[in-house]
Amino acid sequence: MFLLIKFTLLYAVVLMLVALGGMFSERSGVINIALEGIMAIGGLAGVFVLALGGNLPAAVLVPVSILASAVAGIVYSLLLGFSAITLKADQTIGGTALNMLATAVAIVMVKAFNNASEAGNGAASAKLVYSNEAFIYKIGPFTINIFLIIGIVILIVSYLFLFKTKWGLRLRSCGEHPQAADSVGINVYQWRYIGVMISGALGGIGGFAYIVPSVTTWNFEVGVAGAGFLALAVMIFGQWKPFNIAGAAVFFAVFRSLANIADSTVLSNLGLSKNIYSMMPFIASMIILAFTSKNSRAPKAEGIPYDKGQR
Amino acid sequence: MENEYIIEMLNITKEFPGIRANDNITLQLRKGEIHALLGENGAGKSTLMSILFGLYQPTSGTIKKNGKEVHINTPNDANDLNIGMVHQHFKLVECFSVLDNIILGVEPTKGLFLEKEGARTKVLELSEKYGLKVEPDALISDITVGMQQRTEILKMLYRDNEVLIFDEPTAVLTPQEIEELMKIMKNLAREGKSILFITHKLNEIMEVADRCTILRKGKYIGTVNIAETTKEELSKMMVGRDVSFSVDKKPAEPKETVLKISHMTVPSKAHDNNAVKDVSFNVRAGEIVCIAGIDGNGQTEFVQGLTGLEKISGGTVSFLGQDITKASIREKSKMGMSHIPEDRHKHGLVLDYTLEQNMVLQRYWQPEFQQGGFIRSKAVREYASKLIEQYDVRSGQGTATIVRSMSGGNQQKAIIAREIDKNPELLVAVQPTRGLDVGAIEYIHSQLVAQRDKGKAVLLVSLELDEVMDVSDRILVMYEGEIVAQLNPKEITVEELGLYMAGAKRDKVPEEV
Amino acid sequence: MSEKTKDVLLSIVASLLCIVIGLLVGLIILYCINAENALDGFTRIIKGGFYLKPKGIGSEIAQSAPLIMTGLSVAFAFRTGLFNIGAAGQYTVGVFGALYFALILHMPWYVCLLAAMVCGAIWGAVPGIFKAYFNVNEVITSIMFNWIGLYLVNELMYSTVKGMYDQKTTRTYKISSVSPGSLIPDCGMNAVFKTSSTTIAIFIAIALAVLMYVILNKTTFGYELKACGFNKDAAKYAGINDRRNIVLSMMISGALAGVGAGLYYLSGGAEWNPQVATALPAIGFNGIPVALLAMSNPLGVVFAAVFVAHISVGGAYLPTKYFQPEIADLIVAVIIYLCAFVALFKGVVAGVLGRKKAGKGDAK
Repeated sequence: MFLLIKFTLLYAVVLMLVALGGMFSERSGVINIALEGIMAIGGLAGVFVLALGGNLPAAVLVPVSILASAVAGIVYSLLLGFSAITLKADQTIGGTALNMLATAVAIVMVKAFNNASEAGNGAASAKLVYSNEAFIYKIGPFTINIFLIIGIVILIVSYLFLFKTKWGLRLRSCGEHPQAADSVGINVYQWRYIGVMISGALGGIGGFAYIVPSVTTWNFEVGVAGAGFLALAVMIFGQWKPFNIAGAAVFFAVFRSLANIADSTVLSNLGLSKNIYSMMPFIASMIILAFTSKNSRAPKAEGIPYDKGQR
Repeated sequence: MENEYIIEMLNITKEFPGIRANDNITLQLRKGEIHALLGENGAGKSTLMSILFGLYQPTSGTIKKNGKEVHINTPNDANDLNIGMVHQHFKLVECFSVLDNIILGVEPTKGLFLEKEGARTKVLELSEKYGLKVEPDALISDITVGMQQRTEILKMLYRDNEVLIFDEPTAVLTPQEIEELMKIMKNLAREGKSILFITHKLNEIMEVADRCTILRKGKYIGTVNIAETTKEELSKMMVGRDVSFSVDKKPAEPKETVLKISHMTVPSKAHDNNAVKDVSFNVRAGEIVCIAGIDGNGQTEFVQGLTGLEKISGGTVSFLGQDITKASIREKSKMGMSHIPEDRHKHGLVLDYTLEQNMVLQRYWQPEFQQGGFIRSKAVREYASKLIEQYDVRSGQGTATIVRSMSGGNQQKAIIAREIDKNPELLVAVQPTRGLDVGAIEYIHSQLVAQRDKGKAVLLVSLELDEVMDVSDRILVMYEGEIVAQLNPKEITVEELGLYMAGAKRDKVPEEV
Repeated sequence: MSEKTKDVLLSIVASLLCIVIGLLVGLIILYCINAENALDGFTRIIKGGFYLKPKGIGSEIAQSAPLIMTGLSVAFAFRTGLFNIGAAGQYTVGVFGALYFALILHMPWYVCLLAAMVCGAIWGAVPGIFKAYFNVNEVITSIMFNWIGLYLVNELMYSTVKGMYDQKTTRTYKISSVSPGSLIPDCGMNAVFKTSSTTIAIFIAIALAVLMYVILNKTTFGYELKACGFNKDAAKYAGINDRRNIVLSMMISGALAGVGAGLYYLSGGAEWNPQVATALPAIGFNGIPVALLAMSNPLGVVFAAVFVAHISVGGAYLPTKYFQPEIADLIVAVIIYLCAFVALFKGVVAGVLGRKKAGKGDAK
């Protein structure tokens, strides 16, 4: 049971962070299907910092690596922003390309890195090894990783930003009715970039949070194994609202955790394999999508490039 | 000496690739006046106002505010010069409250957070002062079009704008709401605001404006004092020739019943109530029956239920003596029902198809145009050419033109050609003249009458009062999904019709009308 | 020259421009990783299969066939207004269909291919049904069903269906040893190219591309499907059953991806490894760049697929001592990213060719 709670929290925080990122992007009017790729790039940057700076004190290493993952995510998300906002290209296609690019970039970089550090004996793997001790705190029987705390803070800040500040009002107006925003002097392009960049930062941190607390070796050939896509489903299920997203993330995480502990606990008696549990969150999201799509609260202008000329 | 004009647009020219939308236009707005800007669709009114509002930059010409030259590069600049605009399509965020929409862009804050109380007080004061009743906390999606428009006006007043531009503000209002808007506009002018009023409706100009500037095909025609002119003169300046205000037609000679609707009910998509409630009436061969009403009173749902675009939840429809309540769209079309849809871009055309492909949209499956599943492209082309010639549909590259690139008027003509050429027993025409200029409107009206004179039935759905009065032989008024009156256009006045449309008056309508 | 031909030419030039920029990015990356050997590496990518004749050409042909199919799958969906990002999943389920009929039922190759097609069609129809009847965006459904399909197929092959998984190789059994009759005939091509999986699959793929072209452009069925794609509401207004057509489009799209899986696996190109549970087959996703490069034209897909296969094979010939074969994937990904704004390139090309006066009217 402890194990289930542990894994659930682990996944829930990741899904929530990334889904919140997706929410900011979509609330500003840009569909961010590239979350999967952003997570991979963010994770890559953070893990690289860990692998290279393993000797630094935890107080330095933790913030620096997290910051690195956020910055990498932002930079990568700018590629989406450039194609979707500035060039007004199809957002889904651009995002798909970025997902594929992210995996390729991660593999090439890690392999090149391993190749160099092993003095070029060829056939390098795409795995990085690191230590994650600095991220985990023990409180009584619980182990809590730092991302849980970060996640809760970001959840609250996201809510306040979106609904209690003028910036949130402006960002939301760009996703709902960009022409209206433009007519009152709000720079739609700027706000959409901000939305995409926030999603980049949260996606990057989310990718890092996905990789680091649970294992100490990561094979970048798998990217983040569909977690980014699952986060998209969490966002839709959470109806683009911060606290609903948090709830949806926990819900999805339970299924995901079951897959992880299926083989090692009493659950194995049920005779269901890991594959079946892995499938469950996806099936659950499909069922939920089928029932909720009729009254979806999706931002009205999401996915539509804003063109000043067309009014 | 204080300058007489608050805004002057001098010798404005605006060129788009391949078109000169504004050609040397001058417009001078006096302080505290209501100045109408009159012209047909495509005359360049919207372009000119977009330039004043900073959405476009003029190719040449100057703009002066209080005699000083200014450059308006963005709506922000316009706002800084205290110029505000109520757009034809409201610029309101539907899922925001009235108050949020008003403060958007000029939000009052305290520390990091929004501080809405002061704004609420100011909005309520303004609303009181000018008689603009709104509920600050209601969502835009929940309030009436009239209140949405008042929200737009308050947006301008909240920003202390002095120059107020109204772009076709009456298109979406009931006659009574129009009356109220006219009062508000006069009130605003009295309080010192200067108003630019864009319209093509002559009655409104005569009622409310002090002066009027007329544009035609991008050119400046003239500026006149309303007190010294007449409706006829204005219309002649607008169109460039004399216009007959009424449609020439003989009295109708209705014959047998073609369409019989009994107790039709259609559910609404927007709310839980039915959009169409227990509607019954007949349409006979050789008459034009018009369903009049304000937008959103169930006409759209009624037509969708009739033509089969949506399912009806109760009642029966019979057409040429057959029950077609459950018939598919294709079956209805085969039986001789044609439909000129309300939204030509949404339903009427596949914009990315060529003109010839669109011309056979309703009949590509007929043996004439296909053989064994393969399209007979030559037959399609010949047929399309014939229609294009016969109905004078103009396009860049003939039958191969991508329809998206055609003008709205020609797109509509293409639909009308396609639907009338089917020689339907019943023509359902929904707002067939929306957004078209006077010439095209006259043409379409004459086609509807010709169809009637051939002994066919026509069911017209219109929001335009003039169209309702001029074209129809019989008027049915729809209010909140019900038929509330059957009227003879020769016996009633526009004002009376307005009362029915607004729900202020209703008759007992006989079961069979 | 008519407007249409002009547009086609412009599209081809724009696609070529994407390719050139993508390759340049690849070259820069090669330089960053190892400047000394960069040019050599780049030459190998450019030469593709021709680097190692005739084997390379043979494997290029073998890889092109499934890519043409997944490319057709995505392109067909695009033409009917749908984005089938689920080709990878449909491909995966198609693999199961093909292998089940081959390894377990020992059916002749064409029956196995048909089975792959049906499996792909079913997996494609599901997002179609979700789109048509529940109004759920097909992109999100397709993504979900990619993963569901992957886990399902792994489960079936690994444990549920006995006799498919070979403990020794950790892959499915080789068709050539279990059921040689289920292999697609090679008509002597393997001997010519000194390969093991160069079969007539490529001709089947090309024939299907031509068939798709005819269906889309010459038939009333294609007219209906495209009308739904461009404007669902207008199609409905014209009496076309829009929901049925959405499902049909996705079914056909899925069937094409399924055939792709059949063509590859029934040629003996590879065996499935059900334990790599986290990766969807790249051939499925590579259908997207193929379709985009081809501007969704079924005939263009053939050329685009050959190109992508060409540089992938080239990537495999990179010396692993210095470079990673995934650099080829990276180039392909860059090319799709560029394809996303190909319309802009078309404008630029048109501008350069002097048909429009560039820069004017865009005052910024």
